[in-house]
Amino acid sequence: MHALEKKLLILFASAAAALSLLGVAFVHSAGSYWGEVHYEDSLPFALKQGVYLAVSLAAAAFVLRFRGIGNKTFWNTVYILSIILLVGVLIPGIGAVRNGSQSWIALGPFSLQPAEFTKIAVIGKLASMLGEQRGRKVFKLSHLAVILLPAGLIMLQPDFGSMMIMTVSAFCVLLIAGYPLKFFFGLGAAGAAGITALIAAAPYRLDRIKAFLDPWSDPLGSGFQGIQSLLAVGPAGLLGYGYGQSRQKYLYLPEPQNDFIFSIIAEEIGFIGSAAVILLFFVLTAAAFGLAARQRDPFSLQMVSGMAAMLGFQTFLNIGVVTGLLPVTGVTLPFISYGGSSLLAAWIAAALILRFGAGGGKG
Amino acid sequence: MRRFIEARMRKRLRLAFLVLAVLFAALLAKLFHVQVIRNAELTEKAMENWDRELPFAGKRGEILDRNGNRIIGNRIAPTLYFMPSQNRDIAAAAKTLAPLIDADPKKLEEQMSKRASIIKLAPEGKNIPYETAVRIGKMGIPGLYTGVDYVRDYPYGQMLSRLVGFTGYDNQGLAGIEFAYDGKLTGKGEKVRLFTDAKGNPLPHVGDGWVEGGGGADVELTIDVRIQEIVERELEQAMLKYDAAQALSIVMDPDTGEILALASSPNFDPAEYASVDPSIFNRNLPVWMTFEPGSTFKIITLAAALEEGKVNLEEDHFHDPGYALVEGARLRCWKREGHGSQSFLEVVENSCNPGFIELGQRVGKEKLMQYIHDFGFGQTTGSGIAGEASGILFSEEAFGPVEHATTSFGQGISVTPIQQVQAVAAAVNGGRIMKPYVVRRVLDPETGRPIEENTPEEKRRVISEETSKKVRESLESVVANGSGRNAFVDGLRVAGKTGTAQKVEDGRYKEGDYIVSFIGFAPADDPDVLVYVAVDSPKNEVQFGGTISAPIVGRILGDIASVREIGPRKGQLEREYRWGDPIQIRVPDLTGKTYDEIRQMLYTVKLEWHGKQGGTVVRQLPEPGVLMEESGTLHLYAEPEQKD
Repeated sequence: MHALEKKLLILFASAAAALSLLGVAFVHSAGSYWGEVHYEDSLPFALKQGVYLAVSLAAAAFVLRFRGIGNKTFWNTVYILSIILLVGVLIPGIGAVRNGSQSWIALGPFSLQPAEFTKIAVIGKLASMLGEQRGRKVFKLSHLAVILLPAGLIMLQPDFGSMMIMTVSAFCVLLIAGYPLKFFFGLGAAGAAGITALIAAAPYRLDRIKAFLDPWSDPLGSGFQGIQSLLAVGPAGLLGYGYGQSRQKYLYLPEPQNDFIFSIIAEEIGFIGSAAVILLFFVLTAAAFGLAARQRDPFSLQMVSGMAAMLGFQTFLNIGVVTGLLPVTGVTLPFISYGGSSLLAAWIAAALILRFGAGGGKG
Repeated sequence: MRRFIEARMRKRLRLAFLVLAVLFAALLAKLFHVQVIRNAELTEKAMENWDRELPFAGKRGEILDRNGNRIIGNRIAPTLYFMPSQNRDIAAAAKTLAPLIDADPKKLEEQMSKRASIIKLAPEGKNIPYETAVRIGKMGIPGLYTGVDYVRDYPYGQMLSRLVGFTGYDNQGLAGIEFAYDGKLTGKGEKVRLFTDAKGNPLPHVGDGWVEGGGGADVELTIDVRIQEIVERELEQAMLKYDAAQALSIVMDPDTGEILALASSPNFDPAEYASVDPSIFNRNLPVWMTFEPGSTFKIITLAAALEEGKVNLEEDHFHDPGYALVEGARLRCWKREGHGSQSFLEVVENSCNPGFIELGQRVGKEKLMQYIHDFGFGQTTGSGIAGEASGILFSEEAFGPVEHATTSFGQGISVTPIQQVQAVAAAVNGGRIMKPYVVRRVLDPETGRPIEENTPEEKRRVISEETSKKVRESLESVVANGSGRNAFVDGLRVAGKTGTAQKVEDGRYKEGDYIVSFIGFAPADDPDVLVYVAVDSPKNEVQFGGTISAPIVGRILGDIASVREIGPRKGQLEREYRWGDPIQIRVPDLTGKTYDEIRQMLYTVKLEWHGKQGGTVVRQLPEPGVLMEESGTLHLYAEPEQKD
C-alpha cells in the first residue's frame, strides 16, 4: 500500500471517529433537557448514542471483513432488500409515522429508518453496475431506474431530505462515471420541474420555501424551526457560550439533539468551533475523495467517491438548513445527530470508504 | 479505451470534489454571516425570544395628607396574560377561564388564539380580584400567567374627590391632583424577566432577572384628613337640612397659606367616575365658582379704611336711615328701617351697607380699587388647583361712584371662594398675602425623601400689623355681638363675617335665591385656622349667612380646635345676650360639694346625680368653666359606693 494512501485512510478514520465522539458529547448537551422533559422514563440520549456508536462500529468492522462485499449479486441483494423495506415502511402496521412522515419500521424497542440504508444500497448497486462498464458510452436507462424507483418510494413516506441525498449522491456517481454533461444540464432542468411539481403536490413545502425566504413572516408556523435555529447560531458570535451553555436547547428549538444539533454546536462553541467542525467534515470528505482518486478499479472508485459525495452532500444539506442557507429539510448530520439509523448508515458508508479505499473491495 | 475512461473519471472526480468544496465554502461563508455579521440583530431577537416578560405594573404614587394618612393608595388587582405557544388546547382553556372572568368563551378563545408570544387578556382579564387570580392560578392552565397590576384604592371613599380627581382605565390621571401630578405619580413599571424554557419553566442555571422600574412618587397634600372629615360631614348635613344645590368649604392656615381642607358637596365616587356628570368632577367649587361675595367682602373695605386711617371704630359715628343716596341711586341697607345711629364698630357688627359705602368713599375710588387688587382679587391665587377662576371686577372705566359704592359692601363684583380666603387671611394674619397651596411635598417612593417641596410664600404685605389686629378685634365682636353670633364657640374666640349674596343669572339678580356664606377664624388674638363655608340655594330657612353658614363654621371651628389642640383662650368677648337666645350659665367648679349645696347654688339647672347618695362630687359634666344652657342637664359624679 502506498504511504499517502495509508495516511489518507488514517486521516479519514480519525475524522470519522472524532466526529462520532463529538456527536456523543453534543447529543448529551443538546438533548438532555429535551429528553428529560419528553422521554422521562427513557435512558439519556447520550448513553443510547454511545450504544448506537458501539453497534455502528461493530457493523463497520463487519463491513471491513465481509468477504462478499465486492460481489455484484451481494449489492443486488442489498438493493432489493432495501426496496422491500421501503415498501414495507409504507404498510400500516409495519411502518410508523413520526413528524408526519411514515419513515420508520419498529423493531421491538428500536426503530429503523430504511431510507438511511437505501442511500448506501443505491450507491453500492450503481457502483457495482458501473464497475463493469467497458464501452465509451455509459448511459443506461437501468441506472436511472435504479435511482428513481427508491426515490419515488421515499417520496411516498414522504422524506424529501433523504430522497435528495440519495438522488444527488447517485447522480454524482453517474457524473464521475462519465455521463455526458448535457445530461446533467437536462437533469437540472428536470429537477427544477420535479421540485416544482413536488411543491405543488404538498403545499407545506411551499410554506417551507416561503419560510426560508422570510422566516419572520410566520414565526410560530412554518418559519419556526428556521428562526429558532438562527436564534441559536446567531447570538453565539465568535466564541459561543461554552459547552453546555446553550439556551435554545431548552425547548425553544425542537428536537435539538437531532436534525438541528449543529445549531446547538454553533451556539455553544461559536463560529470558531463550528467552523472547525465544518472543516473536519471537509477533511473527511477530501480524504475520501483522495482515496477515490487513487483507485485503479472503477468499482472501487465509484464506491468510495459515491459514499464520500453522500456524506459530503448530507453534511452540506444539514448545515445549510441550520444556517439558513437552505430551506428547512429534515436531514441528519452524519456521525453527529442522535439516532441509530443515521449513525449506523454513516459508519457503514465510512467502512465502505475504508474497505474500498484500501483496495480491499474486490477481494 | 480504459485509459480514456480512467482519465475521464478522474477529471469528473475532481469536478465533483470542486463542487463539494465550493458548497463547503458557502457553508463557512453563511455561518460567518449569521454568527458574526448578523450577531447583534439576532442577539436582540433571541433576547425577545427568551424573555418571558410579565409586565409588572408600576405602582402609582400614593396621595397622602399632611400627616401621612393615605387618601389614595393602590390595591392589587392582577391582570391575566396568555402565551398561546404554550397551550395545545386553547379552546378548552378559554372555556374553563371564561366564566371565571365573565368573558364570552368564543371571543376569549379568539383572543387567546392570536399569533403573539404574549397576550394581555383585556378587558375581562384586566384587574381581576386577587381571590379570582389565586383560584385561576391553582387551576394550572398552561401558558396562563398572572401579572401584578394595581388599581386605585380609596380608603376614605369619596372624600376629597373633587380635589384629588381620579384615574382612567390604564391608571392614568384624568382629573384633579391625579391629573396635575400624573407625571410624578406614574410608576415606571417593572417587568419580571423570566429566563425559562420555551414552556415557561424556570431554568435552573439562569437566575430570573428584574427589569427595574420603580414606583411613582407620592404626593403629600397640605390637607388634614381629620379636618376634611369634619368639614365634609358638616357640608353633607347642611345639604340635607337646607336642601341646598351645593355647598363648599375651605379651611386654611392663615399664617402659611396651607389649605387644610377643601370640600365641595356633593362629592362623587372616584372609582365610578364614568357614571358621574362631568360638571361634578370638573368643578372644584372652592376655586371654580365665582359669585358675589356679599358682606364678607366688607372685611376688605374695613381693612382699607383702617389702614388709610380714615376711621376710628369706637369714636366715629354713623347714622343709617336704611339707605344711601349715590348719584341719585338709592342703595338700600339689608335692614329696611336702617340701623339708626351707631359707632363704626357697630356698623361692622351689623354689617350695615350705608356705613360701608361711607367707609369706601372715605378710602376713595382709586385707593379702594388698589386695595382690592392688592388683596388678590381679579386674578387667580396661583394655588395650582386645577380649574381655578379669576373672577370679575369692574374695569377702571366702568368704576363709577355707584360701582364704587356697591363694591364697598361686596356687590357687583364676582370672586372665587379661594380669593376671599386668601384676602381675609391676609387681613387677619398681620397683613401678609400668603399664596394658598394644597401640595406640600412630592416624596421619593424608595427613600421617602422629598423630591419637591412647597413652602409658604408671602406674595406681598397689604396692611400693617396694627390694622390687622383691629380687623381681628372688630370681627370678634361681629361674632360676639353682631351678625355672626351663631358662630360663637365658647373659649375659642371665634371671629368672622357673614355674607349673603343674591345669585345672578343672565345679568339679573335671581329673586329668593342666595349663596349664603360665612368666613370665620379662631382664635381672634392669634388666628390658627380660617374657615370659609358657602351654601348655595338653601331652602327651608331664612336665607342669611348668619343663620345658615355661621353655625356650620362655629361647629367646624369647635371640632378643629380639638384636632389642632387650640386650647381655651383668655380674654374673649362674651356673647351679648339677646332675647330668644338660650340663657347660658358658666358652670362653676363643684368638686367636693354635696347635692344640697349645689342645688342651692344652681337652682335653675337640672341636676343628675351618679354614684353614692349623700357623697361629694369628684367629677362633673360639663366641666368647670364651660358655658351650658340653663335648660340643660348637669351630671354630677360622686365617689363610687363602698362595697361591704
